[in-house]
Amino acid sequence: MSERITSSKRLMFPRWANYLLPAIVLGAVGGAFYLPVAFGIGASPKTMAVGYAPTQPVPYSHALHAGKLGIDCRYCHNTVEKAAFAALPATQTCMNCHTNLKPDSVRLQPVRDSWTTGKPVQWVKVHDLPDYVFFNHSAHVNHGVGCVECHGRIDRMEVVSQQKPLSMGWCLECHRNPGPHLRPRDVKVTDMNWTPGADFDGEALKKDYGIRDTAYMQSCYTCHR
Amino acid sequence: MAHDTHDKTPANLPKATYEVHAPRLPRIPFLAVSVGLITVVGSWIPLVLFARARQIPSSEPRVSFVQDMGTQPRYNAQQSSEVFEDGRAARLPIPGTVARGHLDEDDHYHHGFERVKGPDGKMVNKFFDTFPEQVKVTPALVKRGQDRFNIYCSVCHGLDGQGHGQVNEMAVEDKEAKWVQVASLPSDAVRVRPVGHIYNTINVGIRNMSGYGAQVPVADRWAIVAYVRSLQYGQNAPEDAVPAENRNTSQAAAK
Ligand code: HEC
Ligand code: HEC
Ligand code: HEC
Ligand code: HEC
Ligand code: HEC
Ligand code: HEC
Repeated sequence: MSERITSSKRLMFPRWANYLLPAIVLGAVGGAFYLPVAFGIGASPKTMAVGYAPTQPVPYSHALHAGKLGIDCRYCHNTVEKAAFAALPATQTCMNCHTNLKPDSVRLQPVRDSWTTGKPVQWVKVHDLPDYVFFNHSAHVNHGVGCVECHGRIDRMEVVSQQKPLSMGWCLECHRNPGPHLRPRDVKVTDMNWTPGADFDGEALKKDYGIRDTAYMQSCYTCHR
Repeated sequence: MAHDTHDKTPANLPKATYEVHAPRLPRIPFLAVSVGLITVVGSWIPLVLFARARQIPSSEPRVSFVQDMGTQPRYNAQQSSEVFEDGRAARLPIPGTVARGHLDEDDHYHHGFERVKGPDGKMVNKFFDTFPEQVKVTPALVKRGQDRFNIYCSVCHGLDGQGHGQVNEMAVEDKEAKWVQVASLPSDAVRVRPVGHIYNTINVGIRNMSGYGAQVPVADRWAIVAYVRSLQYGQNAPEDAVPAENRNTSQAAAK
């Protein structure tokens, strides 16, 4: 076999080259499984978007203000019931308390600067849907969807981080069957601790709030308009 | 020769030998083995990194592989802008201008007081002692007021209005030098205030309390006033205003 014709000057594959074919087949099959899986996991919003916690200009803590002090979310985010967006608090809102409370704290310096110059504090946006998605806070908050469903335990966060993927699949998961995610009218939407009791009836709540049919809730136009 | 081995060799044994070229492949070169191993082990690295990325918060924003008009050249609500000096994309009204529907010309409804000539001829504030005609005091309004009070006021004034909300308690505990004890709303000093005065306190603030006009719309301010009145009444109610079955007899006996 090969040794017999070693005298030839032509390029000869070494013997181990016989492994190449099985190696390539193995690699191709392996790669065909591996790459989509790796890309799927890697590019998934669960990897890319969940856990995004940018450093903010002021070390403001929800764990202290919303958790320990128990300030209602709407004290600061006061547009959630009326508007599509959730307002970030104006500097005035912080100064309601911080004029007389920790008036010399270095951590609050940017807030006081903003107070004197009139330039807003530049918070870094955490939850950010692509511009082609239409979202509306009031549509959810007024129909019994609590903040915690989409933002997680904000009242335990020192620094806000994104808890949910905010992907289309995630939105649709709830839009297909919102019943179990609703809370009765007498429970505050801002209550982070509420859990459904034994008498919880999602279907009745859907009727009570007049939630529209699944076809409407899944229609492309609901979220892309 | 005494021992001729030749003689003992069986005649049928083969006398010739031949080399066997068995179709066995030679050892895989080290290089090939290491490349294979590195690929297999290396393929785990991204997975480990992904697992790590899922566990640990990151201050880096998400990378968009396909832009797909995800960031359009427009300003969204509350977005900052480099065009304007103060960084706001949403412009504030120009000083001296009034947005439609915001003239606030009804003294009673929008301000709670009117300017009148005092006894010495100077103009003074006269607070209204009644609710304006736009506001119908109903149980639903008081309920709304309770809801809003618990959001905007209870942090300082407490759910019962007596001035022991969480913020006050923490400030007192920390001995904050500039903190002023929050007023008790059912106290006599505040009970005698006309409703217009309480409305004005919510609207623009008073002494060490800042105004909540920016956070609370007009109708809700009046709802809060109605609830403050009900708190004041509830905590100072004469005994015969309470239905007999709800009276706390031991408390009544102690009086
Ligand atoms: C005292 C004022 C205050 C209160 C009360 C408050 N927040 Fe916030 N919130 C802020 C400020 C300031 C920011 C911007 C800085 C940051 O992201 O930490 C913010 C940011 C957020 C964000 C992230 C916004 C983004 O950029 O995506 C969410 C979500 C949020 N708050 C939810 C809540 C919820 C839910 C509650 C009630 C449990 C709450 N907040 C209570 C002041 C407040
Ligand atoms: C309802 C009252 C209230 C409001 C409104 C409020 N805070 Fe506070 N804040 C507090 C209290 C109480 C503390 C704790 C003080 C202490 O530790 O004794 C605090 C502490 C802080 C601290 C830590 C200060 C330090 O030096 O330890 C920061 C930073 C802060 N707040 C930022 C903000 C920002 C930014 C806003 C506006 C979005 C805001 N706060 C609005 C009540 C408030
Ligand atoms: C149905 C899910 C959902 C619920 C319920 C919800 N949010 Fe959000 N929130 C979002 C999404 C999605 C965004 C990002 C919006 C965008 O980028 O346009 C967001 C953004 C925000 C922001 C940043 C400002 C903005 O509007 O982009 C704040 C602050 C906030 N939410 C607070 C709250 C509070 C407080 C509540 C409860 C009263 C709440 N949210 C309830 C999904 C939700
Ligand atoms: C936890 C459940 C839940 C999640 C998650 C959720 N939604 Fe909703 N959504 C609802 C409910 C309930 C309604 C109210 C439907 C109604 O009014 O009939 C609603 C209504 C809406 C509406 C208003 C429809 C209209 O025409 O009034 C829009 C837009 C919307 N959702 C977009 C989104 C987007 C985008 C996301 C993902 C970022 C999302 N939703 C995630 C439950 C949810
Ligand atoms: C409940 C809300 C909702 C509905 C209904 C909905 N979408 Fe989406 N869609 C989203 C959100 C949120 C995103 C952004 C996902 C992201 O950022 O990862 C999105 C993204 C997309 C994208 C871009 C994907 C990409 O990454 O480039 C396309 C295309 C799209 N949607 C098509 C549709 C079509 C077609 C329908 C109707 C069958 C539909 N959507 C219905 C919420 C919705
Ligand atoms: C940040 C804490 C804080 C919040 C929140 C707050 N107050 Fe006050 N309030 C005070 C303090 C402090 C005083 C006492 C001011 C002084 O004596 O200098 C006061 C005093 C008052 C008074 C008595 C004024 C008088 O006639 O002497 C009324 C009435 C009042 N507040 C109503 C409200 C209402 C209604 C709300 C909700 C919209 C509210 N407050 C929210 C801190 C607060």
